[in-house]
Amino acid sequence: MNKKVISALLCGAMVLGAATPVLAEGAGDGQKIALVGKSAGNAFFEIAAASFKETVEAEGGKVEVVYPETATADAQIKVLDNLISQDFDAICIAANDVNALQAKLTEAMDAGIKVSSFDSAPNKDSRQVFVNQAGTVAVGQALMDAVLDIAGGEGQFAILSATSQAANQNAWINAMKKIMEEDDKYSKMELVEVAYGDDEPQKSTDQTAALLQNYPDLKVICAPTTVGIAAAAKYLQDNESACKLTGLGLPSEMLEYTGDDDAHSCPYFYLWDMQGLGKLSAYTTMSLVKGDITGALDESFTAGDLGDFTITEADDGGTEIVLGEPLQFTPENIEEYAELY
Amino acid sequence: MAGKSGRSINNVPESSIKRMIFSWEGILILIFIAVNIFCAMFSEFYNVSSLLRQMPVYLAEVFLMLPMAYILVLGEIDISVGSIVCLSATVCCIVCNMNAPFIVVVLTGLLVGTACGAVNGFILTKFTELPPMIVTLATQIIFRGIAEITLGSGGSITMSNLDGFNAIGGKVGQVPYILFLVVILAVVFAIILGKSTFGRRVYAIGTNRLTAYYSGVHVQKIRMIIYTVMGTVSGLCAIFLLSSSFGANTTTGNGFEMDAIAMAVFGGISSTGGKGNIAGGVIAAFIIVCLRVGLGQQNVHAQVILLIIGVLLIAAVALPNIIGQVRRAVKTK
Repeated sequence: MNKKVISALLCGAMVLGAATPVLAEGAGDGQKIALVGKSAGNAFFEIAAASFKETVEAEGGKVEVVYPETATADAQIKVLDNLISQDFDAICIAANDVNALQAKLTEAMDAGIKVSSFDSAPNKDSRQVFVNQAGTVAVGQALMDAVLDIAGGEGQFAILSATSQAANQNAWINAMKKIMEEDDKYSKMELVEVAYGDDEPQKSTDQTAALLQNYPDLKVICAPTTVGIAAAAKYLQDNESACKLTGLGLPSEMLEYTGDDDAHSCPYFYLWDMQGLGKLSAYTTMSLVKGDITGALDESFTAGDLGDFTITEADDGGTEIVLGEPLQFTPENIEEYAELY
Repeated sequence: MAGKSGRSINNVPESSIKRMIFSWEGILILIFIAVNIFCAMFSEFYNVSSLLRQMPVYLAEVFLMLPMAYILVLGEIDISVGSIVCLSATVCCIVCNMNAPFIVVVLTGLLVGTACGAVNGFILTKFTELPPMIVTLATQIIFRGIAEITLGSGGSITMSNLDGFNAIGGKVGQVPYILFLVVILAVVFAIILGKSTFGRRVYAIGTNRLTAYYSGVHVQKIRMIIYTVMGTVSGLCAIFLLSSSFGANTTTGNGFEMDAIAMAVFGGISSTGGKGNIAGGVIAAFIIVCLRVGLGQQNVHAQVILLIIGVLLIAAVALPNIIGQVRRAVKTK
């Protein structure tokens, strides 16, 4: 009898497991591509992922979108191990750490899997090519100019970032610091702190509160992460703070906080074309698998209706493909974009 | 009388085969077989070679289960091990980047771990009233804090010289070195806990500390040794972790303590002390490893995998209880 009870419970657990997997059948002559995200539940990433999937499927391939259990490089290593065991043609990854994935991604490439990356790049030896939403300097410049403009030319500002290791956020923050040093017009701006909200709404809210408390004269918070900016926008607006906000955010999440008057916490902010990024990454990855490109400098290819792109040198010495400038969202255009993103 | 085996489902001593099947370890072996059959049925890529290839990342955590089992048998808990792993890994990376010979890097890692474990042991044996949960919660924060300060604003460090770590990440045929080491250590830990005087004393302390004390058992000395060894093994875990990630960051080792405790408890080691053995913990650890690899290969959502393991854990802990109740109900009728 004991055995029956045990096996019944066991079967229950097994059925639960069996009900969930998405079985990937051999896609015949189509390509099989894995898209690895930084963590589950990021609306911003999911737009690009959906667009990536749509584009590849329209071309007759198959896409598996996989997220690690936590937003860490260690968790992504486990995901990559799983993918290498399967029969994928290519892996496109948004990396949680610049260097930590090198061994696994090299192992994947040695196993004949093409490796591209987008959104957040692993180091140059870990990838064949990186698809960049906008040049690092272009983003840093746009954010720094926004901070200067909103602050009115002088005063304290703070940055509310994702995690301290997030490769793309760190690159933009470093670009902002460099721009500040190099141009005299930013000389009256003072960066008081870079806070980390770990891309969690509650922690980002807490960090915003702490910034306001520690720096009563704070004029602007710049949050180059969608989770951070939404959390900060709500906190600042609810508390009717004089401190204003800018950064990178999703129009749909920022709709009620965006406006030129004192009742709104964010005058304007930026984001790039996430759908375009997903699409360009999809074409890039498919071209790698087809062998049209290898990820070397100066190669060019056609990305469907996005047009022709050429591979250029990235800031880290590797190669990248740049989509374009970030888009600005103002009270005038936000409603239109909020339906998209 | 439960004896030192994990959970006695059937107390009546009958034929030894029947007793083995109905022991907790027997049930775990059945679950292990079921998990493997299940994984092989649903994943076309699940086989011995893919399992061996993916295993090393998870095996580093299995190391932690071994001394954790001792601590649980004592009736105590150590939740600082994840942070010790993080600190050891960080210091290892720094020493490695100073071009130190590999043996120095390894010894440094073990030494840092041992020192952290000794700190835990020292506090707990000097201030015996303090609950281990609270003390190790404090050191969890302290050790990770030190690691984060050492890592600086970047929050991560990568090793420049990978030769040594590549070497220990190597394989004999398809079998990774780490698997041999896990097996050897498991046997050593199992023999000491199950067959030696030291092991008996650990069970004695876990069953009734005061009685053990009045029987002449050096309670504090044994606790000190066990917490220190926990630290050393955390250092070992850090070294093998580095052989797959080649770097440390602020999240390295996050949650490892809970994984180690989960493996041990699933293996029938009671968190209230005095019960369980290493064999159960090891089988449970391999069940979790196989389940993670097998489900992972089917691209099951990571959170769903955690959910399944959680359900399995609750079931494992509740099962002896449920059976006991059913049996009582049948008897009263």
